[in-house]
Amino acid sequence: MSQNPKKSPLLLGAMGLGALGVLGTYVAAGHERFWANWVLWFVLIFTLGLGSLFIVALEHLVSARWSVPVRRIPERLATLLLPAVPVGLIALFALPVLYPGTRPEAAHNHILAGKASWLSIPFFSVRTAIAMVLVLIGLAILVGGSLKQDQTKDPAFNFKARKFAPAYMAIFALVITLIAFDWISGLTPEWYSDIFGVYIFAGAFLSGLAATVLCLLYLQDRDRLGGVKGDHLFNLGGFLFAFTVFWSYIGFAQYMLMWYANMPDEVMYYKVRLAGSWRAITITLALVHFILPFFALVTRAAKKDPKRLRRVAYLMLGAHLLDLYWLIFPVLGARPLFSWPELSFALFFIGGITLWVRGAMEKGEDMPVGDPFLREGLEFRL
Amino acid sequence: MSETSFSVLGIFDTPNSLMAAIPKLRATKLGTVEAYTPYPIHGIDEALGLRKSPLGGMVLVMGILGALTAFGFEYWISAVDYPIITGGKAAGSWEAFIPIMFEVTVLFATFTAGLGMLLLLNKLPFFGHPVLSAKAITSITRDRYVLALEAESEAFDSQAAVAALQAAGATDIEVLPAPDRSPFLTSDYILRTLGGIFVACLVAGLGIFTLTKWFPLLRPMVNMQDQPRLNSQKPSSFFKDGHGMQRPVAGTVARGHLPTATGKQEEAASLVNPLPRTKEVFEVGRKAYHNRCEVCHGALGNGVGSLTAAYGGKPANLQAQQFRDYPDGKIYWVIVNGKSAMPSHAADLTDAQRWSVVHYVRALQRAQNAKDEDLKVVAP
Repeated sequence: MSQNPKKSPLLLGAMGLGALGVLGTYVAAGHERFWANWVLWFVLIFTLGLGSLFIVALEHLVSARWSVPVRRIPERLATLLLPAVPVGLIALFALPVLYPGTRPEAAHNHILAGKASWLSIPFFSVRTAIAMVLVLIGLAILVGGSLKQDQTKDPAFNFKARKFAPAYMAIFALVITLIAFDWISGLTPEWYSDIFGVYIFAGAFLSGLAATVLCLLYLQDRDRLGGVKGDHLFNLGGFLFAFTVFWSYIGFAQYMLMWYANMPDEVMYYKVRLAGSWRAITITLALVHFILPFFALVTRAAKKDPKRLRRVAYLMLGAHLLDLYWLIFPVLGARPLFSWPELSFALFFIGGITLWVRGAMEKGEDMPVGDPFLREGLEFRL
Repeated sequence: MSETSFSVLGIFDTPNSLMAAIPKLRATKLGTVEAYTPYPIHGIDEALGLRKSPLGGMVLVMGILGALTAFGFEYWISAVDYPIITGGKAAGSWEAFIPIMFEVTVLFATFTAGLGMLLLLNKLPFFGHPVLSAKAITSITRDRYVLALEAESEAFDSQAAVAALQAAGATDIEVLPAPDRSPFLTSDYILRTLGGIFVACLVAGLGIFTLTKWFPLLRPMVNMQDQPRLNSQKPSSFFKDGHGMQRPVAGTVARGHLPTATGKQEEAASLVNPLPRTKEVFEVGRKAYHNRCEVCHGALGNGVGSLTAAYGGKPANLQAQQFRDYPDGKIYWVIVNGKSAMPSHAADLTDAQRWSVVHYVRALQRAQNAKDEDLKVVAP
């Protein structure tokens, strides 16, 4: 098909420049800022990988046929969970710096003292480690098995994946909730919201879908997905459309209940985000995460228009990033910080993710050629 | 129209022969090409050249209109017509409107989709489409595929249509009359409909009535009625005395009524009037003095009130040197506790009103014992 991807000097240069900036941030811009950035990118990579693996597991769970020809793309994207492991392990060093529940002062805080054992560094680290192991098992079974099927053409994998998918869904729900509660909600441990895991899930699924659409169009531009039609694109576009609404629904439901009840410990979370410059970011987030993609994808033709889908997919990845920034960065202060440290982190990690995904796009065949349902998927018509 | 034929059906044996015939028939431009098949055939929309349905646009417009309608109603009610602060939220808080805006959006959108599709786009209701009475209908719903050439105007040439369908490979031909579009909303049908609705209401009402009579214990949705709570003026098994309403615990203090001046009058001497000497405070004090004090102590505070003569009492002359030398706290103490024949006014005056009265009494005293320099203060 295509030769090995050329080592892109531009990407490597950007990453190098970013890495310098990242080191500079640690030295010059304060540890809190460094770790807030690091946690942001860890959560982004992890949710992107989790969301992609969710798409794979969903297909096996419901025995979807239409998505078989495009399944290899979320499978390849799910390998982002591998680099997420070292990034996450390094992020554990952020615990004493950023997470109030791990500091000794927490013992004097009535609310935090009650959660002390849960918020303590050892248990927090163990939970993250368990989450990673569980997810890697899912990756090995679903993605590893699928890659192996390319050679063996053994339909037994479909049965195995079908059986494993429900269990993985339970694991997925647990892991995404842990990530949401521990890594994001844990920054403000006095604030809690039961629906927060679902909110992060909506963002993760959306980012996985957006990345899948982008990679699909990338492969189609290189004529590597013969037989994948507008009908497949339409389904992905429909998912993207539906889940912008789902994200807003969850986000607004959470906000409205807290706004109504007006409990001091809950409402402070939004007070911070609706004051000063954060207010502008909150409004921008509603705009780019809901209103723009909603109206961009509302018509039937738009959902299979590659040009528009590509733009919306870029927009949704950006919106997910902004969402995480909006969730994490208010702990650094009342004013949104955005300067060379954030840009360096973005250069470093976007460069890294792009390089990794480009490499992953060469893994195995472009379609799961060993899957007995591939033909049925290719013949899918709306 | 019933004399001339309206549409010509051509029956095909396979979906492929039907698909092959569509472009040929469209090229003849004899009339609208319509397909009737037992199941949807992929690609037939494009082949028939069906225009994009305007329904989506209608639904979007009406949905947005629904959202705006709900927002307008709620904003007008809660911020313009009858603004009440509930739950500490400002009048016209948009956050609370969203769920209702969503519901009304869905309502408008679904009604537009349903009614627009049936009435506007499919021009229902009418009595039976002629295809439904065609001989071919049983095979259309089973295993035959039908293309129809339908008249677009009076000048429909059914002979040419028959020939075109035969040339395109139809195995059988059937000529149909126009659909019966006689008026639907005649008084007869309207009366029947109203009668039907009336009978339905009657049956449902009587049914519910008898059901609740026969099964009085089946109460629907009692969760709100039967919640474990205390009702005022209702018995309750929660407290020993069997009352839902309880007396306040001894020593209970209402908000803003912290007990002061509870001890002896001498102890109250050190209390300081917390209120500033502003026009508003003096106005509050004047009103309270006028309502509560003036009948005995008099409008000037000199102890000559309208009740003094009638009851033969001797209220204090507040202009006396003794009371002019009183500290504020002692006057306050008397208002709260009463003195000699004077009863306590603690129940009549709030804390702020009492201190306002103290200020006002000071003003009365100064008015009767004005100094020369007071004139300067008055000058604008």
